Amino acid sequence: MIKTRFTALALAAATALTPLAAQAAEIEWLQWFAAENTDGFYDELVADFEAKHPDITVKLVTQPFGKVRESIVTDNAIGVGSDVLGLNMPWTKEFLDIGILEPLDEYLARDDNSFATSDLVEAPLGKIDGHTWMVPLNAFPFVMHVNMGLVRQAGFDAPPATWEELAEQAGAISALEDGISGIGMPFSSQPPSNGPILTFLPLLYAHGGRIMADTTPNFDNPEVVATLQFLKDMNDAGAIAPGAASRTGGVDLEEFIAGRTGFMISPGVHSSSITSRNPELEYTLVRVPTNGETAYRVHGWEIGIAADSPNKDAAWTFVNYLLSPEVNARAAKAANALPGNLAALDAVREGADETLLKQMEILSGDTPVEEMRQSPKAAASWSVMTEEIQAMLRGDQSPEEAAAAVQARWLDLAG
Amino acid sequence: MTTMLRQMTTRGTPYLFLLPGLVILGALLSVPLYKVVEYSLYDNVIVERNPTFVGLANYTNLMTDPGYWSAGFNTVVFTVGSVLGHMIVGIGLALLVNADIAPRARTFFRSMLILPWIFTAVVVALNWQLLLNPFGLINYMLQWMGLTSEPLDWLGDPDLAMWSLLLISTWRGYPFIMVSFLSGLQTVPRELYEAAEIDGAGFWHKFWHVTLPQLKPVIFGVALLDLIWTFQLFPLVWLSTGGGPGRATEVLSTLTFRLAFVDFQFSQAATVAVSILIISAAFTLLYLRNEARRL
Repeated sequence: MIKTRFTALALAAATALTPLAAQAAEIEWLQWFAAENTDGFYDELVADFEAKHPDITVKLVTQPFGKVRESIVTDNAIGVGSDVLGLNMPWTKEFLDIGILEPLDEYLARDDNSFATSDLVEAPLGKIDGHTWMVPLNAFPFVMHVNMGLVRQAGFDAPPATWEELAEQAGAISALEDGISGIGMPFSSQPPSNGPILTFLPLLYAHGGRIMADTTPNFDNPEVVATLQFLKDMNDAGAIAPGAASRTGGVDLEEFIAGRTGFMISPGVHSSSITSRNPELEYTLVRVPTNGETAYRVHGWEIGIAADSPNKDAAWTFVNYLLSPEVNARAAKAANALPGNLAALDAVREGADETLLKQMEILSGDTPVEEMRQSPKAAASWSVMTEEIQAMLRGDQSPEEAAAAVQARWLDLAG
Repeated sequence: MTTMLRQMTTRGTPYLFLLPGLVILGALLSVPLYKVVEYSLYDNVIVERNPTFVGLANYTNLMTDPGYWSAGFNTVVFTVGSVLGHMIVGIGLALLVNADIAPRARTFFRSMLILPWIFTAVVVALNWQLLLNPFGLINYMLQWMGLTSEPLDWLGDPDLAMWSLLLISTWRGYPFIMVSFLSGLQTVPRELYEAAEIDGAGFWHKFWHVTLPQLKPVIFGVALLDLIWTFQLFPLVWLSTGGGPGRATEVLSTLTFRLAFVDFQFSQAATVAVSILIISAAFTLLYLRNEARRL
């Protein structure tokens, strides 16, 4: 009797558990990419993945870029974090210190990956604390967007290639008429308050400068001071759009699209917004004007796996899918960016427009730089830069004092 | 025994009905409150897996942090300025829309003037950013009238940013005062005005000697309520200026957010939040005492 009952119980338990065993693993993908691509591309991508991997379902969680960083931190803290995370390179060190990210070295070394690690864009793979923490979904260099109509009106035939030419052309464009400015500089304190990393750093890298020595702040160096001086001189000459201290990145982009700014330094990925929103604009993009250096600030959309994820293997299966040359090429084209897997370059080049081809040229020949990923408190660091550059532009301090102030405050932040 | 049980059941029934509400309120209010106070007693939380109890050290740090005092000062300026702005504009407009004009026109003006109240902070901040932009409408008008020769960076100049923020806050917040004052005006007996008119009182005399004394309790109550709300106002400030330029418009609520989500100093942020809580609680007690006295 007891034996019969035990057998019945075991059978009942086995029956009850069978659906669980067969149930697909559900992973959650938190990102902002789908918010910037509204034609449903990422829903289709997820559906395609699920069709190919019936044992895994993916829940797409989309938030605006400005919200993702805090969501990752707070979700992780209360144990409801997503499995696959859309990441921004500057967040790397901050997230490592909190223990959010899973090291990817072991996954990257697997034989059955759909890609070769050596084909991936290198910048996000660089080891911090001895490990690789993220992989690139796509990449785009920071470039200078040019309103050729205004350049011609100001009497020039070609966009500026050097700092000197930039200052000259921006000044001439500002002098054209009221409401038209040479170049916009978005140094507002409003969140994300990241104007300096959008505009100042690309100019600094094109001058051969850097702001970090490994993970140590190194802001008070001659190249930084020269770049700050360049900004101050342009501002004093009226070449920069008035109201830099209240100008956000969003306003800067809108003003450029509306045809009221000659130049805008920002990620190359903005070219698709510009051409689609104002097809009448006589538009092109060029390398950020240099002083002989061909280094550019590289940016992109990265992916990582949460250290607390209970479905790390399923998460990697999804990441592996995203990095396969065929899928990666589709993702890059959807964002009008370059692929994170360079083996997909040819597929992306096919049918690419002029702006994307120019970005490819920059990406293939110049030196990529991304320093903020080593900063222990990236968001606080660029906020400090914003405040000190604001003070410099309104004449409260010299470029040397601004550089020294940033350096001192960064050292404080680093503890 | 049976009688006792029956009495207990009869007396306890209302409390049973209250129980779900009390449990929900308790969970929604006391748990977060307890957690914030608890967080403020550790070296850091959320980003720290094994936080260390530091007692009141965060409070001591706060007291010696110039950033905290500067944000505190800005909060006082912003709160007092906003409440004064709300009161002056709100009372002024309430008197105007209470005037004896055609009912349709009166309804139209009342409806239009209440509009700022229904917009979200995001819409208000974006609209005012466009208006106050160096190439915006306000600069254009000022230059057209010959009042300025150069466009002013209203939200980017440290000398102007707080004034601009007060303007935005006043525009956003006056309708509450206007509506409260308007409803109070309906309760003032007309005989008082008639008696004043017989005594030869003009508009201002009637306002100072009849309207204001009659509505003093209403004014005091709504001003206190407005003070409590404005003191901890976050979205409008964060979305309009982000606390800048520099820290020119940093108030305690934006400092809390900055410490938490920019610097990841969650315990320091909790400490500032507790200080806001203590001050707000003091205002709230004052408000409750005032309301009790009115009853």
